Amino acid sequence: MTQELHPASDEILRKTLLARFAADNRTAYANLRVGVLNGIAHLAGVVASIETRILAAELAEEVTGVRGVVNRIEAPGAPSPTRTVNLNLQNKKGNSNE
Amino acid sequence: MNNFDQIKNALQRIRHFNDLPDEIQQGIAASATHRHFDTGQVIYVEGEPAESIYILEAGWVKATRMTRDGREQAMMFLHPVEVFGDIAVFTGTTYPGTVVALEDVDVWVIPAKTILDLIPRHPDLAMAVIRHLGGRVLHYISLVEDLSLRSVEARLANTLLRNAEVQDGQLIVPRREWTTFDEMAVRLGTVRDVLSRALKTLEAEGLLRVEKQAIILLDPKGLAEHGNL
Repeated sequence: MTQELHPASDEILRKTLLARFAADNRTAYANLRVGVLNGIAHLAGVVASIETRILAAELAEEVTGVRGVVNRIEAPGAPSPTRTVNLNLQNKKGNSNE
Repeated sequence: MNNFDQIKNALQRIRHFNDLPDEIQQGIAASATHRHFDTGQVIYVEGEPAESIYILEAGWVKATRMTRDGREQAMMFLHPVEVFGDIAVFTGTTYPGTVVALEDVDVWVIPAKTILDLIPRHPDLAMAVIRHLGGRVLHYISLVEDLSLRSVEARLANTLLRNAEVQDGQLIVPRREWTTFDEMAVRLGTVRDVLSRALKTLEAEGLLRVEKQAIILLDPKGLAEHGNL
């Protein structure tokens, strides 16, 4: 339950992700919620399409320092945010839970 | 009922908070807002700034945390009426886990600042918070013990016994208590394949029977022995 190892970098990553979503007009409207813990980004909120949901995860994965993305964003046709999430952190890219 | 009556009603159903003076309850009610979450919706995610404390008034929620190797571990399953989100507020960290609604959920959202302002002026509230956090510490000691000292089979046996109920003369664990094998695996801190093997082992020993809508506990005493109880 340690949470002190990288609090500063997690917070920087969180701010970077929020800025990235706000700067992209495909995601800006959604005011997505973001948490980062141990380098893993957790996304939540509601978007209009599954494409935007996937896009948000891709934008997050591109940020240097993000080890993985847990995508709990709600969208039509998306899996429930409660579904079991297993990340493969060995493969840095493409490791969101799509 | 107005906010005050509703919050008072909710607080009176929470251990340690049920005898707070009206003045404190009024202070909490004044800033509390009601929110509804549909099944599956996220209440907060781990790593988000802890800006609120929540009182779970109706429905069932799950708190999980992602391990460093990318596996989801259940921390708590909460039924009403309960307080959650408090640990991060009092430690000044981000939320340590993600909380999602497992069914339609009603919560009261209390700004962290409200509670942090009230505590220095009201020792009764401070004591209630300390007792509540003490309960959480005991819960996590038990979780650590489970994960570090008990096998998956033992954890499974314990979880089944804890969530069993009597129906038609049989001791069963209804489907709503685990929903899917994946859900049960998260709860036990393992993965689906290992859980399936554990269930098969216990079933082969005649301790339980897995059915579509329930797990029938055929030998609670044997399960208790498996669970090292």
